[in-house]
Amino acid sequence: MPTPTKGPRLGGGPSHQRHMLANLSVSLFEHKSIKTTVTKAKRLQPYAERLVNFAKQGDLTARRKVQGLIAGNSRTNKSVVHELFTVIGPAMANREGGYTRITKIGNRSGDNAPMAVIELVMEPVSPKQAVVSEAEGVAGHAADEAPAETAEETVETEEVTESAEKTEEDDK
Amino acid sequence: MAVPKRKMSRSNTRSRRAQWKASAPKLVKVVENGKVDYRLPHQAHVVSDSAGTPLFMEYKGRKVADI
Repeated sequence: MPTPTKGPRLGGGPSHQRHMLANLSVSLFEHKSIKTTVTKAKRLQPYAERLVNFAKQGDLTARRKVQGLIAGNSRTNKSVVHELFTVIGPAMANREGGYTRITKIGNRSGDNAPMAVIELVMEPVSPKQAVVSEAEGVAGHAADEAPAETAEETVETEEVTESAEKTEEDDK
Repeated sequence: MAVPKRKMSRSNTRSRRAQWKASAPKLVKVVENGKVDYRLPHQAHVVSDSAGTPLFMEYKGRKVADI
């Protein structure tokens, strides 16, 4: 659950902030990466990640909750909710939080507002973790196969010794 | 509306303005392919080609934004 924001709302009032967060998150889910001010990006991050968590749940209740938050009566936003649940949610299945990334890109010319790019982290979870899980899988397989392999090896060694003895006999 | 009662002397004006000071940005030194570059920390930087044309913004080897 996001920590409640302290201080003034974005845009002036609580309802204005609700609309701004909803519209920002719709843009984020539609374009995967948006440029906005650092303040807005920081407010948007917990909000959008909560919506992604709903998308990962994926059931009808979650979908209705998200639609209630960001879709309203808009059909375009409804299609964005569909994309959130069919594309973004499954893509984030193995990721435990941290669905978005904020990168600061300097100040805006005009009003010198600090700007940032907030984007969905769509790439698969870190290759390190993939390697670890793979290694664990291999280790499990090795443990299963180990007795069989050793048995084969002993057989092979016996054969080798026999053949060695034979060669010795031939030499004699 | 509040109105100034007295003229502000040139001395007072200049004393006030003498306190406006610019501070140098704190930069970090980055060596990339043998080239030294000074960048703002925790912020994307502009990648440019050999002719110096700006191409895109990058942070930690990841393309962040177009210009």
